[in-house]
Amino acid sequence: MAEYSRMAKGSFTASATTAVVQLPFKPDFVELLNYTNIAAGSGTNKTTRAWWDASLVVSSNNPTMIELYGAGGSVLFDVVAGSAAAPGISAFSAGQLLQFGPSKQIVASTKGATTSFQVTSHGYAAGDVVIFEGLYQSATTGMPQMAGIPFTVATVTDANNFVVNWNSNNSSYTNLSASPTGSTVKKVLYPYLYFPGTSVISAITTGATTTIDTTSAHNFVVGQEVAFRIPSQWGTVELNTLPNLTIPGSPIYGYVVSVTDFNTFVVSINSTSYTAFTTAIAVSAVNGLSFPQVVAVGDVNTGGVAISSGSALYPPPQYTPIGTAGVNTINGPAIKGAFVNNTAQGFVIGNGAATTNTSAAIMAANDVIEWRAYLHDYSSP
Amino acid sequence: MRDYIVSAASQINAGGGSNGFNPTNLGVSDFSLVATTLDTNNAYKFMSGIEGMDRFGTGPVRSAYFMLSSTELQSDFDSLVGSGFLSQWNYPTNASALPSEYGSVYNIRILTSSEAPVARNAVANSSGTLNDVYYNTVLGKQAITHINQDGYSMNLIYRDPYYSGMLAQNATLAVKFAQAQAITQDTAIRNLLSTRLSNLGV
Repeated sequence: MAEYSRMAKGSFTASATTAVVQLPFKPDFVELLNYTNIAAGSGTNKTTRAWWDASLVVSSNNPTMIELYGAGGSVLFDVVAGSAAAPGISAFSAGQLLQFGPSKQIVASTKGATTSFQVTSHGYAAGDVVIFEGLYQSATTGMPQMAGIPFTVATVTDANNFVVNWNSNNSSYTNLSASPTGSTVKKVLYPYLYFPGTSVISAITTGATTTIDTTSAHNFVVGQEVAFRIPSQWGTVELNTLPNLTIPGSPIYGYVVSVTDFNTFVVSINSTSYTAFTTAIAVSAVNGLSFPQVVAVGDVNTGGVAISSGSALYPPPQYTPIGTAGVNTINGPAIKGAFVNNTAQGFVIGNGAATTNTSAAIMAANDVIEWRAYLHDYSSP
Repeated sequence: MRDYIVSAASQINAGGGSNGFNPTNLGVSDFSLVATTLDTNNAYKFMSGIEGMDRFGTGPVRSAYFMLSSTELQSDFDSLVGSGFLSQWNYPTNASALPSEYGSVYNIRILTSSEAPVARNAVANSSGTLNDVYYNTVLGKQAITHINQDGYSMNLIYRDPYYSGMLAQNATLAVKFAQAQAITQDTAIRNLLSTRLSNLGV
């Protein structure tokens, strides 16, 4: 081994048929032992060992080789193809700028209080973040107002349909149909690389306090100071963070007083008499249209908040991709006033079936997995 | 810092261009809009102006914010000559110009880099044609900073081959630091998103 190689090992008990292992490098070789199946001593289609090499490509796929028990205690070798339909082990690197999945053609859309899209075999799950492109039915119709905005997939209706939180229930929007040219959607592979960040606003409820809905997870916490950038077409311009006429030089900010869920929070601004928010933007006004945004001012990351009184430890900063449950980042305590870098790298264990012994997969829930990962200095090819 | 700003600073979509995308290519009105926004927010400009001189082909340069842009937009900037763009070579004196400075439009001086963030094929127009989206970061003096953790400042590390490997084949040159980035004044920074007018020409 030369000085730039990397090696890591570890173990875990599987909570599902898939797992993500984060590492301080992107491995080019991974091997793992399924100790549960090894200890059992036998069992039909039970994988005992799996290994994957980044440089081995078969038919554009990067297969995972497995060793497994067959009927009668025999030992077999098989392959998990590594295709989209049969994912095996794969490495990932979230990087520092957004990466995207393949663009998929939008077949149709249905407007309403939320907006539904039909995409053949979209493969998305609730909580995924997607971005639309185009969305023109013709030069003057369609839903291009939504193009370019990151949306959390709120509901997966079925394999070909999903819903995002955007009120398109007005005459400015027309349904898409017959797979319009240039109307596509792509998944953001690793969203929230830095947070809290900028979120696009999908709805505002005015009142004694102001409730904000965002198109994707805002990742704010109670106490977060926020600023608003709302172009005049969207209505509620009174929220904009402009110089304060009462206290010159002090911009107008709000504070988050409660977090309802991943895309809804309440701000301490009395907006009772403010202009109503609207998504009714004419298609003709789309060119040059800026989106309504809420921006973190400084931050209130979880760093600096002790786990318990007297504890010297701090929880890692969390983000909330959907619902209300936070997900830990790999970071240690954050610095107040700084933002959290949420990039990651490592490898993923997929749940694809073996090619020949189609009942076999790499692991099942509750299996004990021992893994090793390597990044080599030199590889040929 | 670059990627963090893309993620955490607010955005304005260019609308002053004519290419039919959202955002459009950069028009001079976009520069004016962003500078006005930062001025309204009492942002500090980086550079004082350059007074006009009696030299052919030159013109005075306004006091200015900096905009960080992609080198791929340089031909778009050139297309604005006569409309408000002033090449760095047309400054009365380029003594204060930075090596990466391409020119200025109104109250914004433009620095270009091949490392500026670009989202490829990120928007489609009504014909389905795709275009790249460029993140042009315009910032005032008080907009951003970095924080050294616990006074742990930057270390430049060099070990010659003799110390880096038994066979003395590889040297080590590295920079080590523990820093966090912060937007110190969110009203003094904007990402001006734009597409491109011209072909890429690569």
